[in-house]
Amino acid sequence: MAIATKKTAKILVFSTEKISDPAIDMAGLMKLHYPPTVYTITVPCSSGIKSKWILYAYEKGFDGVFIAADGSDCVYGESCTEKTGKLVTKTHELMKSQEIEPARLRMAAICSVCSESFVKQIRSFNDYLLKTLHPES
Amino acid sequence: MNQEKKNITYDALVIGAGIAGGEAALNLANTGFKVLLVDKDDSIGGKMILLSKVFPTLDCAACITTPKVSEISRHPNITIFTGSKVDNIKRVSENEFTATIYKKPRYVHVEDCTACQKCEEACPVSVSDQYQYGLVGRKAAYIPFSICNPKAAVIDIENCTLCGACEKACPTDCIDFTMEEEQYDLHVRTVVLATGFNLFDPLKMPRYGFGTYKNVLTSMQMERQIAPTRPFHTILRPSDGKMPDKIAYVLCTGSRDASVGNPICSQICCMYSIKQAQLLMGALPMADITIYYLNIRSFGKGFEEFYEQAKGMGVNFVKGKIGKITEKENGNLMLRYEDINAGKLKVAEHDMVVLSVGALPNTEAKGMFADDLKLDKFEFVGQPDLMASPAQTSIEGVFVAGTASAPMDIPDAILSAGSASSEAISYLMKNVAPQPPKGGVKVEQVSGC
Amino acid sequence: MEKRIGVYICHCGGNISDYVDVEKVRQSVENDDNIVLAKTTMFACSDANQKDMVDDINNFNLDGVIVASCSPKLHLVTFRNVTERGNLNKYTYVHSNIREQASWAHSDNKEGATEKAIHLVKSAIAKARHTQPLDPTKIKAEKSVAVIGAGIAGLKAALSLSEKETHVFVIEKEAAVGGWVAKWKDLFLTDETGDAIIKRLYEELKKRQNVTIFLNSEVVGNTGSIGNISLKIKQKEEEFDITVGSVLVATGFEPYKPKEDEFGFASVPNVITLPEFKQLIDHEKNTLTYNGKPVHNIAYIYCVGSRQPEGENTYCSRYCCTATIHAANQVRNKFRDIQNYHFTRGVRSYGKQELLYAESLQGGDIYLQSYEDGLPTVFARNNKPVVRVNDILTGGKELEVEADLVVLVTGMAPRSDNKVGSLFKLPKGRDKFFNEIHMKLRPVETVIDGVTIAGACQGPKTIIETVNSALSAATKAYSNISKGVLETDPQIAKIEAPACIGCSDCLPACPFDAISMARQGGKSIAVINNSLCKGCGMCTPVCPTDAIDLIAYSNVEIMGMIDALV
Repeated sequence: MAIATKKTAKILVFSTEKISDPAIDMAGLMKLHYPPTVYTITVPCSSGIKSKWILYAYEKGFDGVFIAADGSDCVYGESCTEKTGKLVTKTHELMKSQEIEPARLRMAAICSVCSESFVKQIRSFNDYLLKTLHPES
Repeated sequence: MNQEKKNITYDALVIGAGIAGGEAALNLANTGFKVLLVDKDDSIGGKMILLSKVFPTLDCAACITTPKVSEISRHPNITIFTGSKVDNIKRVSENEFTATIYKKPRYVHVEDCTACQKCEEACPVSVSDQYQYGLVGRKAAYIPFSICNPKAAVIDIENCTLCGACEKACPTDCIDFTMEEEQYDLHVRTVVLATGFNLFDPLKMPRYGFGTYKNVLTSMQMERQIAPTRPFHTILRPSDGKMPDKIAYVLCTGSRDASVGNPICSQICCMYSIKQAQLLMGALPMADITIYYLNIRSFGKGFEEFYEQAKGMGVNFVKGKIGKITEKENGNLMLRYEDINAGKLKVAEHDMVVLSVGALPNTEAKGMFADDLKLDKFEFVGQPDLMASPAQTSIEGVFVAGTASAPMDIPDAILSAGSASSEAISYLMKNVAPQPPKGGVKVEQVSGC
Repeated sequence: MEKRIGVYICHCGGNISDYVDVEKVRQSVENDDNIVLAKTTMFACSDANQKDMVDDINNFNLDGVIVASCSPKLHLVTFRNVTERGNLNKYTYVHSNIREQASWAHSDNKEGATEKAIHLVKSAIAKARHTQPLDPTKIKAEKSVAVIGAGIAGLKAALSLSEKETHVFVIEKEAAVGGWVAKWKDLFLTDETGDAIIKRLYEELKKRQNVTIFLNSEVVGNTGSIGNISLKIKQKEEEFDITVGSVLVATGFEPYKPKEDEFGFASVPNVITLPEFKQLIDHEKNTLTYNGKPVHNIAYIYCVGSRQPEGENTYCSRYCCTATIHAANQVRNKFRDIQNYHFTRGVRSYGKQELLYAESLQGGDIYLQSYEDGLPTVFARNNKPVVRVNDILTGGKELEVEADLVVLVTGMAPRSDNKVGSLFKLPKGRDKFFNEIHMKLRPVETVIDGVTIAGACQGPKTIIETVNSALSAATKAYSNISKGVLETDPQIAKIEAPACIGCSDCLPACPFDAISMARQGGKSIAVINNSLCKGCGMCTPVCPTDAIDLIAYSNVEIMGMIDALV
C-alpha cells in the first residue's frame, strides 16, 4: 500500500466528548481515512483546553495541534465559541514568543456529524505541516 | 417425571429471549419489576447473536447482543429459563395469569460447568450443528456456540449414546444423567410475547435445488460463514471447498410469493443481502456478486444510502425473476431468469447461489395459551388496535414484541419491544399487586438457571 | 501504593483485529510500568470476558482497568459496571477507542493502525495511572416530563407517561392536537380514520389528572440539565416557566414541498401533491373533479423529495409508496372510470403492506418504472399534464400518459423550523432529521442527557412505527426520572487553594455561576459549588496561576497522555 509508507505529520487533536468526538468516531465508521499519526485526546468542552498543554505537545514533538471545537453546538452554552477563540489567540501569542509557527495550531468547529469536514480539515492540515516542517518528504 | 410442581411468582413473563424479548425484559426489570425470561433454546440471544454484522451501520451483531445478553443474565430482577417451554397460559384475573413451564433437563449443572470443551472432545457422536445451520457438525455433548449464554455444555439426549465418555472427561463432574424435566406452576401479572419468526425453508421450492445442489445455500448459512464466530476461516463453497468468485443472491425466496403461501414482503432480505454483498466484497475482493431482485426495499434510516454504497462498490443488481436453477458437473449453477430491463429470458452461470429466505410467523405462540390468542391472516400474532396500540393482543395484559407480530428489522424490533414493555409497565402499575401476592411462595432464583 | 492496572485489548470479532495487530499491541504494553496484566479477547463486552475481568480484578488486586475496544459511546458504561462488580470504583476505569479511531479509520493502513492503537492504549495507561476513586454526584430528579409536539407520537407518549406516576406537560404550537394524522381520513392497514384515532387518544388524555396540555404554545427557553430542566413556555403573549426531569421531543415532519417546475409543480396545470390529493378524494363525493373538470386518468410520480439523485434528500421516506397505492385503490373503488398510472422508482410496499400492491395490480393499475438517471418528465399539452418516461419494465420504451391529474408523491422532510432542535442542541443526521445515539443500542436517546426523540422527527415512519418509537421514548424518559434521584458524573472542577491568588478571573468564565469568592485561611479564594458545576472546564484556562483543574482532565493526566502519544 502506497499510503502506508508515506510520511504523515504528527497531529494532536483535542476533541470534545459530546460534539466532535461522535463526528470523529463516525469518520471511522464510514471508513473516511486520514493519517494514522493523528491522535485524539477527549475533553468535555473545547473552551477548557489549556495553552500549557498545547505548548507541551510541541515541546514533545507534535507537528501540529488541532482543536475540534464545539462551535455553537456546545452543550455548556454559547460562550464556548468565544472562549475557545480567546484561548487560541492567547496560545498563538505564546507560540510566537517561543518562536513556534502559530499556523501549527488550528481550530475548526466540528459538529457531531461533521465527519467529512473533520477529515478534510485534517488532511489539509497534514499537507500544510508536511510542506512546512518536513519538505524533504 | 414424578417431581412435584414448583410454584413460582413473578411480575412479568417474557417469552422469547431474542433481541426483542431481551429488550422488553430489561425495560421491565429496570423499572423494578421481577421478570421471568423463558427461551426454548439452550442459549439466550435469539437469531441476532448468530449474525455477522448488521445493516446499515455494519456494527458487528455480537457487539450489540453480547453486552445486552450479559446485562440480562446478570440483572437482579431477571430470572432466565433456557431450554424451557411455556404452556397453558390463562388469565385468571386482572392481576394474575397462570401458566405451566416445562424445563427440559440439560444434563449439565450450569453453575459448575467451565465450558472447557473436554466433553466435546470426548463425545464420539457427530451430528449436524444447528447453530451453524448445518454447515459443519457438532458433538452430542457440546457448547451451543462460542458466545452463547449461559456458557455451558448441553447434552443432546436425542443423539446421545449414553456411552459416558463425557462424564469421564469432565473435570468438574458437572454432567449428570439423572436430571429430569422440571415443571413449574407460574403466576405472573402480565405476559410479553417475543417468540420471533421462522426462516422460510427453501426445500419447499424444489426449482432452486436447495438440498440437492451443494452450492446453493441459504442466507443464514452465508451469514454464519461471514460471522466472527464462523465455522471456517474463510468463505467456502460446500461442494469442493473452493473460494467462490461469482456469487448470486436470489431475493424474495419464500416472500411475496402466494404460490408458497407467503404473499407478503419480509422487510429484511433486501437489506441483509446488500449487507452480505458488501461484506463479501471485503472478504473476497476478486469476487463478482450479483443480486437478483424484484424491487429493492431499502426504506429505513440510512438504508437507501447503504444500497447506493453497495452499487458504488460494484455489487451488480439485476432486476430479474429466477425461473430455475440447474447444476453443472463442476458444481457451478446455471440460473435461468427473466431480465426485466431487457425483457428477455437469460441464463447466467455462478459458482455459488445464496437464497435470501424470508421471515415466516412462528406459529408456536398460539399453542401456549389456554385463552384464545387471535392471529392475523398470515398467522402472526394479531394486533387488534394496530395503529394506536400495536403491542396489544386479543388478550388483555398480553403484549407482543418484535417479529412475533410481523416481519421487521432489528431497529424496528427494538422499538416494538420498547412499545410492548411500556404497555406492560402501564398495565402492571394500573393493576397493583394485591398484598400478600397470591399463588404461593415467591421463588427469586431457581437453581440451575 | 503503586497502581496495578489490567489492560484488555479486544479483537471485536475482526472489526479491530483485521486491521490492528492486537497481539503486537498487547506485547508492546505488557511490560509498561504499573501493568499487571495485558490480555487480548475476542469480544471484550461478552459475558464470559466480563466475568474474567471481575475475576482478574480480584485475583490480581487490580485498581485500574483499561479496555481498548470500540467507541466509549457504546460501552464505557458496560465496563464501568464491570469494574464496580469487581468492587472497584467505576471512575478508575479508562476506555481506549481503537476501533472507530484506529482500525476503522485506518483500515487502509494496517501498520499505521497498529502503531496508532499502541499509542492510544499507552495514553490510556498514562491516564489510568492517575485516576482516583470518585463518588457520583446525586441530583434530585423532578418526576415530570415535557412532551413537545402533540401529534400521534406526542399523544401516545403522554398517555404512556401519565400511566407511570409522572406528571406530563404537553406543549403544542398549534391550536389543536393531532398533527398530520388528525388531518387524514383513510389510513392503510386499518378501517379507523386518522381523525378518529386522534379523537380517541385525546379524549383519553384529557381524563388524566396528571396531564397538563398547553396549546398555542412554544418552548422558548431551556436551562438546567437532566433531572431538573427549566423550560420557558410562551403561550400566545404570555410567558411562564415549568420544571421537568426529562424532555421528550416529538415535533414530527413536514411534507416535502416541491420546488417550482419540479415535475411540473406550479408550472404545469393540474399537478398536485399527495397530501392535497388525499384531501381531494376525502371531500369529493360521486365523481372526482379537479378545477371543475372530471378526472379519469391519474398519474402518480413517486419519490418526489426522496431518493433524490441530485438534491439534499437522498433517503427513502418509507411510507409514501404504500400511502399512494392505498389512495389509488380508494379512488378506483370510490369513483367511476378511474385509471391509475404509477411512475415508480421500484415499489416499496414492505411487509404486510404488500397486499395493497397486489390489490392494486389486480384492480388494473398500470405501473411504470425508471431509475435515478431517467426520471419522468411532466409537461403541458393542450392545457393538460403529460408524463413521459422511458419505462424499464417494457425494455426502456418511451411512453407517455396524458393525465387529468398528476399527483406528486411527496416524501417526509425534516422540519424547516429548527427552533426546538437548536434550543436543545439536538444533533442531526445526514438526512437532517434528529439523530439517535445508536440505532440499535439507544434508539430514542440523544447525546443530550435527558432528551429523548420520538416519531418522525427522528426519520420517516408509518403510524405504527411512530407509536412504537413514542412508547419506547416514554419508557426511556420515565426510567430517567423514576427513581427520583439521578447519578451524574463527578468530574467537576477543583481549586488548588494554596495556588489561588483570589483574582476572581474564573468567576465570569463559568456559564453556570458555580464559582464564588470566599475567605479561607485568611485570604479570599475562589470556591466551586459542586452541585452547580457541570464539569465543562471553561474556568481552567483562564486561571493565571493554573490553580484549577478538572477532575480526570488534570495537567498530570493530559500531559501524561501527550507523553504517551509522541
